[in-house]
Amino acid sequence: MADMIKLRGVKRYYDVGGEIVRALDGVDLTIKYNEYISIMGPSGSGKSTMMNMIGCLDSPTEGTYEFEGEKVHEMDDNQLASIRNRKIGFVFQTFNLLPKLTALRNVELPLIYANVPREDRLEKAKIALEKVSLLDRMHHKPNELSGGQRQRVAIARALVTNPSIILADEPTGNLDSKSGAEIMNVLDDLYNEGNTVILVTHEAYIAEHAHRTLHILDGKIKDDVIKNKPKTKITVLKKKTPA
Amino acid sequence: MFAFVESIRMALSAIWGNKLRAGLTTLGIVIGILAVTLMGTLISGLDRSFEKSMSFLGKDVLYIAKHEWFGDQEWWEVRNRPDLKAEYVEKIKSQSKYVKAAAPVAMRTADISRGKETAVGINMLGTTAEFLQTAFLNIDDGRFFTEGEDRSGARVIVIGYDVANLLFENENPIGQKVKMGHYVFRVIGVAEKQGKFLGMFNIDNRALIPFGTYQRLFSRRGWMRLDVKVDPEHIEEAKDDITAILRRLRGLHPGEKNDFAINQQDAFRQQYQTMKLAIGGTGIFITVLSLVVGGIGIMNIMFVSVKERTREIGVRKAIGATPGSIMQQFLLEALFICLFGGFVGVTLALGGSFMIDKYIFPSTMPITLAIISLVISSIVGILAGLAPSYKAARLDPIEALRYE
Ligand SMILES: Nc1ncnc2c1ncn2[C@@H]1O[C@H](COP(=O)(O)OP(=O)(O)O)[C@@H](O)[C@H]1O
Ligand SMILES: [Mg+2]
Repeated sequence: MADMIKLRGVKRYYDVGGEIVRALDGVDLTIKYNEYISIMGPSGSGKSTMMNMIGCLDSPTEGTYEFEGEKVHEMDDNQLASIRNRKIGFVFQTFNLLPKLTALRNVELPLIYANVPREDRLEKAKIALEKVSLLDRMHHKPNELSGGQRQRVAIARALVTNPSIILADEPTGNLDSKSGAEIMNVLDDLYNEGNTVILVTHEAYIAEHAHRTLHILDGKIKDDVIKNKPKTKITVLKKKTPA
Repeated sequence: MFAFVESIRMALSAIWGNKLRAGLTTLGIVIGILAVTLMGTLISGLDRSFEKSMSFLGKDVLYIAKHEWFGDQEWWEVRNRPDLKAEYVEKIKSQSKYVKAAAPVAMRTADISRGKETAVGINMLGTTAEFLQTAFLNIDDGRFFTEGEDRSGARVIVIGYDVANLLFENENPIGQKVKMGHYVFRVIGVAEKQGKFLGMFNIDNRALIPFGTYQRLFSRRGWMRLDVKVDPEHIEEAKDDITAILRRLRGLHPGEKNDFAINQQDAFRQQYQTMKLAIGGTGIFITVLSLVVGGIGIMNIMFVSVKERTREIGVRKAIGATPGSIMQQFLLEALFICLFGGFVGVTLALGGSFMIDKYIFPSTMPITLAIISLVISSIVGILAGLAPSYKAARLDPIEALRYE
């Protein structure tokens, strides 16, 4: 199986008032298709920076990053926007839905930037909402939805473009445990359908869902644990391969 | 393309979400556009009534008088100039080959009455038959007086349109008698309706009698003008001829200044141009000022908008918005705010031009002016939106997402 993601010696330094913060300090990481990875580590250890790096929101200060063979570290802003749009689905701790738009319009948004015609957009957005069981709430605005529902809308938005990878940075961090469990079910399903999922979490029982756990400390990968069997049952297996 | 349509939609909904603020910021643009369109309407209305008035003064007619129409001489320099004489007309006609027709025009105000009706303050002109040619006058009813009537001092009168209406409501005036003082005149013609000169002097409020009659009944001295129609191809030569003839008649020495004036339509035109420049200059000054102030206001509000929506920009970027599409969205927002201001301005100006039309003088807003105004507002919008949109486009997505 081909590698999807290859980080080699990736560093990301921040200059905070003359002091250099090494948010990422030499990361080597390879991710294959249909992996389910959790990232753990104390606050400030560089988890979010790593997710942003993988998600092409950020570029390395040093090192190389290849995504499906494309050299991300050499890309300009437009290329980065395009790869984020086509290949990456983000899920944030704070949902980050646009408050004035309905669930449907929020989910539709990435397709607008992908220049998909309106009819197709609506259809795809509805399918994505169906996947997170929120079709009946598609005309609701975020403030008319519960936290768990909002996060599911965010997940629908992340997967509507059929991305290569879904990145969820503490997706359950702002949710009660019941809503959190719902979200984890959705992520498990996505993985089982053949998607590649990375999630950041503080909770061991959430990290358990993944089959591979990265422990990060001071911007470095301290531990990379691969379990043979993921905890979740595999029901459907539809492997995603690069187009 | 779909993204562009979406940008329009997003820009409009962003404005809609902040109606009051957008409405207030657009005030400068409204005033600017109002100023430019009203000014344009005013000028085009003025142009029209000016040109209409100018048609009473032929391009090829010289008006010889004691004073320049818009002279810059001091009054004491001109007060002692001798009066013009009717005899000059024949001399001018016979001595310059460029002169086509010439008529002396003497004028005073008079009351004309018929029975109980009196037309008060009528401009009564004494002139000759050639006035028909120098004044481009048409007689609706009846005829103008003849040279013979002029020579014999016949008591015949041609009345203006309004005078005829007042004195002979539903009757045919031709052949009827009217009185001026204790003199009785026979109406031989009615002049066609001509309107007002420069919106002020009612030309239809006049009456014409033969020059000979005028001189016999009224004073031989007093205000007089010579209207000379010349060959349109040789106006300058004609002026030189007439100047020479008059100087000779007046016995002026080579060093002496002319003690008469040869006036032309051009004098009005120059005067009018100056006034137009003043109106235009003021209008443009107000316009530019308001547009600059309005533009800065909109730029300001756009910066605020970008700041408020930093997180939204971060989200959009995270899901694949390019810097260009973010830029486009905010540029469109600024553009629409300004266009809206432009529309309001044009609409108000339209109302204003109706008022001008109704109460001041005939004018309509030229459609090109409305289009130009909207184009100007668009340009202001784009210019004002440029810096804020660029800022939005360049925001770092991670920073933007962390923004509280
Ligand atoms: N934009 C930034 N500017 C300056 N320092 C930053 C920035 N983003 C992250 N950092 C720093 O980098 C380190 C790693 O941050 P982060 O990746 O957010 O940690 P985590 O997600 O594991 O809590 C922290 O010390 C943080 O303060
Ligand atoms: Mg974090």
